[in-house]
Amino acid sequence: MTACTRLSTRWLKPCLGLLLGLFLLGGEGRAEELVTALSSDVVSIQSNFTGTEIVIFGQIGMDPQTLSRPGRYDIIIKVVGPDQQITTRRKGRFLGVWVNRDYETFVAVPSFYSLASTGRVGELGGRELLDAHALGLNHLNLPVSGSSHVPLSERDDFREAFLRLRTEQGLYAERPESIEFLTNTMFRTTVPLPANIPVGKYSIQGFLIQDGVLLSRTEQELAVAKIGFEQVTYNLARHHPLVYGVLAVILATVTGWLAGVIFRKD
Amino acid sequence: MQLYLPIAEIPVNIFMIFGMGGAVGFLSGLFGIGGGFLLTPLLIFSGIPPAVAVATVTTQVTASSTSAVLTYWRRKAIDFKLGTMLLVGGISGSIVGVFLFEVLQNLGQLDLVISLSYVTFLGTIGTLMLFESLRAMRRRRSGGAARIRRPGQHNWIHGLPFKMRFRQSKLYVSVIPVLFLGATIGFLGTILGIGGGFMMVPALIYLLRVPTNVVIGTSLLQILFTMATATVLHSIGTQTVDIVLALTLMIGGVIGAQFGARMGQNLRGDQLRLLLALLVLLVGLRFAVDLLLTPTDFYSIAIMGGAGS
Repeated sequence: MTACTRLSTRWLKPCLGLLLGLFLLGGEGRAEELVTALSSDVVSIQSNFTGTEIVIFGQIGMDPQTLSRPGRYDIIIKVVGPDQQITTRRKGRFLGVWVNRDYETFVAVPSFYSLASTGRVGELGGRELLDAHALGLNHLNLPVSGSSHVPLSERDDFREAFLRLRTEQGLYAERPESIEFLTNTMFRTTVPLPANIPVGKYSIQGFLIQDGVLLSRTEQELAVAKIGFEQVTYNLARHHPLVYGVLAVILATVTGWLAGVIFRKD
Repeated sequence: MQLYLPIAEIPVNIFMIFGMGGAVGFLSGLFGIGGGFLLTPLLIFSGIPPAVAVATVTTQVTASSTSAVLTYWRRKAIDFKLGTMLLVGGISGSIVGVFLFEVLQNLGQLDLVISLSYVTFLGTIGTLMLFESLRAMRRRRSGGAARIRRPGQHNWIHGLPFKMRFRQSKLYVSVIPVLFLGATIGFLGTILGIGGGFMMVPALIYLLRVPTNVVIGTSLLQILFTMATATVLHSIGTQTVDIVLALTLMIGGVIGAQFGARMGQNLRGDQLRLLLALLVLLVGLRFAVDLLLTPTDFYSIAIMGGAGS
């Protein structure tokens, strides 16, 4: 476990938890078991928040009685944010002016989606497996609302544009070969969380795959939340909008009045 | 230094925002305008979501008009009765504005309406101001006396019913155009995130024949209360007023305004109006270009529900 000693004390706790988990696993009957741990299970958004990253550690636990199978193990780590309803619009010319015309609404799509893997995700498993677990941007299920007027032949354009724009915003990512093996069985990956991530409950899922067969999977929760002043302001604006609005007006008039007093010439 | 905005939910460079507030404050002090029509586009072009920019600028305009109203109040240059009637119209216009703002946002046509309105209003007002200031400059050069407007002159507006007497403005006019004017400015201000002084002042002078000594103070009084109402209505309706962004803009704005006001005293009125006209036209043109040029990306996405909406 040289990895643990090399890492800062910040990672020590999850590392120790991981080791404990591995010992407990020893008696299980299955040949391989995946264990993962997060550097932190809460991401706090404060006034200095400009994005952050979480580190995910993992270990492929092996039963000492069985020999390790030949062939390589592949790992996929998926981070998914809470669902959103998102409308994708396409501009068209109308009376010489460019306006939003056609649109497609995706009703339950992840607000954040990041996939780290040991290889190109399309090569790690069959279509059925990847579709079933939404592994890879091309295998994401993007349900559209029933009121869509987009002809079937153009739906893929909207889907592609949606994925492209989300990727440009840094909210969707597919990062092959971003998992680093520290030992033969222990690995680590870093998932960047951009500044524009929405708050809510995130799910972190680990998949252990060999020759296209899913051997083991894990799931953990990550909370992204505003704290302190940001949380108070946000909650006030959401739950007591009248109070918030009146406060904003008072703040504005006091600032204006103060400026008048300070810079008064006569 | 990056600062995370709690409502806009993005980090911004606080010095950039402060500088924008300062620069617009400088211009507003220089020209005697609120500056909303410059600040809102600047914020939108720098990546603040349009809905947040519009709603937050209403708060900023509240602050900048407060200090100006206090100054005019001390000089007794406000017609409170006329201001109140304008305000009655203004608040009703503002309520309709917030309602329509939400509808347009849901339809995905808010940006289009904001752009089209900016092109139309800034284009019209800018062109009118440009010609007026050029005429004034030519007249001054040729040495001719400016046409003096007498309070007794009448136009069709003075023939409307429901007349009311405004003593301080020495006016006896129908309340219909007063309410209508207030409502229009309140409506546009709420939708576009502008105070509307640059439209209100010419309208009061040319349409209602309000004397120039009370026109700015009265217009500012109406703007102050309409924008305060718009802030509260946006907080309740669209929930896009960002108090941190607003405060940063306000502080930059009130400081910039002091320098602008000092510099404005060294420039002649017609020169100032010419500069302002060019500025107004430039902003209008910027919006027109975006509407007419083929966009680099035909697609856009908007969060309609769920996390972070």
